[in-house]
Amino acid sequence: MPEPAIDTDFIRERLAFFKGARFKTWLDICAHCGYCADSCFFYTAHDKDPKYMPAYKIMQTLGKLYKKNGNVTREELKGIADIAYGDCTACRRCSLYCPFGIEPALMIAAVRGMCCSQGLAPPALMEAAKNHLEFGNQMAITTEDMVETCVWMEEENEEEMPGMKIPVDKEGCDTLYVLNAREVKYYPQDIAEAAMIFHAAGENWTFPSMGWDMTNLGMFAGHAKIMAHAAKLCYDAAERLGVKRIFTSE
Amino acid sequence: MQVFHDYVKDGKIKLDPAKKITKPVTYQDPCNISRSGGLWEEARYLMNAMCTDFRDMAVNREYNHCCGGGGGYIPMGPEYKRRRMASGKVKAEQIRETGAEMLVVPCHNCFDQIRDLNKEYDLGIEVVHFKTIIPQVWDLPDHLKPKEEHGETG
Repeated sequence: MPEPAIDTDFIRERLAFFKGARFKTWLDICAHCGYCADSCFFYTAHDKDPKYMPAYKIMQTLGKLYKKNGNVTREELKGIADIAYGDCTACRRCSLYCPFGIEPALMIAAVRGMCCSQGLAPPALMEAAKNHLEFGNQMAITTEDMVETCVWMEEENEEEMPGMKIPVDKEGCDTLYVLNAREVKYYPQDIAEAAMIFHAAGENWTFPSMGWDMTNLGMFAGHAKIMAHAAKLCYDAAERLGVKRIFTSE
Repeated sequence: MQVFHDYVKDGKIKLDPAKKITKPVTYQDPCNISRSGGLWEEARYLMNAMCTDFRDMAVNREYNHCCGGGGGYIPMGPEYKRRRMASGKVKAEQIRETGAEMLVVPCHNCFDQIRDLNKEYDLGIEVVHFKTIIPQVWDLPDHLKPKEEHGETG
């Protein structure tokens, strides 16, 4: 089956949206001085191969999209996606070294959004991101399994620390605790460790049965709707339970 | 991490200086917590409160290097793992240069990446979160201790 053509109108629309003062200035002002090069671990890890220089990566992605006014083939957009997802972790280190204060990571995020809209986000990342919509967390953990994990961890550690609780959906607490879905799936002891520290410090806290995954793969994939949904789940939980603040896990 | 720092600094949790970890320990500044979150000194306050031989990496604080697994790189899956390990070389070398036997990191993403680097580059390092170490070095009041520790039965 032939792959669908790129929706170039949509790409152009996004390019116009992003071409505000900031991106326009950044793209115009970059002097290709190369200060960003040595700041990038992709560049230094690959024997200073110029293709990993942040300024070059921007030229080959956002720069190319503007130059072609969004008229790119699927093959070209695949090449752009490969750089945006695979050659940059958006760590923002290069921004510290840019004499003009350019932030390549924000431009990479914009490029990821355009690639994602054309189905070019890495498939595994996209699958996990979609779990935020269906399950409320990236690891496809059901609410039942999450609550069971909390009960199990509470029982498992009650001898270690008498009185330690993992209170789920308790209303009127000061603090809502949210964490990384990987903790529930692969490192359940992490929940107990946090609970023990909260107990020792006298924290009045609760853990929500929905809206507990603080990670946001929608953001990494470049999918704005999933990104907003995942973030909103945590804030909804905070409002529902009437807490004063949210603590995020390590 | 901010919260743990405040607990210790405000005395809500007391650490026992006699229990401090004596082997060399290093710290990974996660991009989101240090460069973007501004919490690098809080981390060092905790590290020095928990360990006697804290060794910073060569570039640190807001100038830290990404672990190499950020931005969704880990959930991109096995298809990207070879690239993730290749570019993680910088972080692996940084860790090795410290001579540390343990690494504390307050980010689950860095945690998983550094555990992968540990295998890939044979770093022989124990990777832990603050919440794993704090209970090893704290000085708990008696009523919070496991029962056998303060002489009660069952």
